[in-house]
Amino acid sequence: MLAASPTTLPLFLALSACKGPAVLSGPPPVANETQMLLHAVTAEQNLIWIYNKAITGYSALGPTLSPLLAEHQAHLAQLTARVVEPTGRKVPDTVTARPALDPTADGALAQLRAAEQAAVARLLSRLGAASPSLAQLYASVAASEATHVTTLTSRIQQGGARS
Amino acid sequence: MTSARKPPRPSARAAEISALQAALAAEHAAVYGYGVVGAMLTSHLQSQARADWVAHQEARDTLQAMLVKLGATPVAASPAYQLPFAVAASASAVRLAVALEDGVVQAYLGLVAVTDRTLRSFGALAMQPPANRAVAWRGSTVAFPGMPTTAVST
Repeated sequence: MLAASPTTLPLFLALSACKGPAVLSGPPPVANETQMLLHAVTAEQNLIWIYNKAITGYSALGPTLSPLLAEHQAHLAQLTARVVEPTGRKVPDTVTARPALDPTADGALAQLRAAEQAAVARLLSRLGAASPSLAQLYASVAASEATHVTTLTSRIQQGGARS
Repeated sequence: MTSARKPPRPSARAAEISALQAALAAEHAAVYGYGVVGAMLTSHLQSQARADWVAHQEARDTLQAMLVKLGATPVAASPAYQLPFAVAASASAVRLAVALEDGVVQAYLGLVAVTDRTLRSFGALAMQPPANRAVAWRGSTVAFPGMPTTAVST
């Protein structure tokens, strides 16, 4: 172990003033693309949370919502698999939005639809700065979530939980 | 006065034109294919096929105009297409409609990989109507519209 002695102290001070590799500082900053990817991961986690809440709260919606939930879980798996940096750091497993579920089943469907629409818009806003491969994943997930919007709209028009 | 935006490199422009041509070819195939689909359906399904046929004609015209604007000659429709399977009844016609829509979604996904941000957004947005039409014909959603299964297998 290196101890601060009269002979090594000047060396320490000189090193700390250097602009070389920051061996003594924290981990390197996360690249912008990775930062956006981590946001996309969190957005999927938030969607999964609200779907689970809706299925638990309104069991009659289960047959409609469960396939969509399974697709969100597949989205999350693919997005998480694309996170290759920072090396060795775990992808955050955190839900950042826990909104109260609407007190009616029809309201909950509308709430999910709004969440899906917002997710589509967010994914499309990330296309420009992404690598071609990641942009395609975002676009495919956005297309999937756009079909969820249509599915939920159709269910709302059929009478929501009553049908 | 000169534009602040740099013109794309020749290879980037070639990739953009190639992706647009692929999307146009898929739309041509869909226009042809829906003729077959509609002939095998009746009633409201035939109406749905007719509406989707018109949507593909409109998309085809949009792509042709975009290609002309880029100075390219839009790829022409083939006089006939080989169907992926025999279509002899309503069930196979519906399956063909799904295949046509999936093919168009996949072609637009190719546009999302180009460098130009406007074309990327166009491709991503253009995927959504055929993805929705595929769901309407198939009766169920899919997790990754347009993506090859190998790209998203876990």
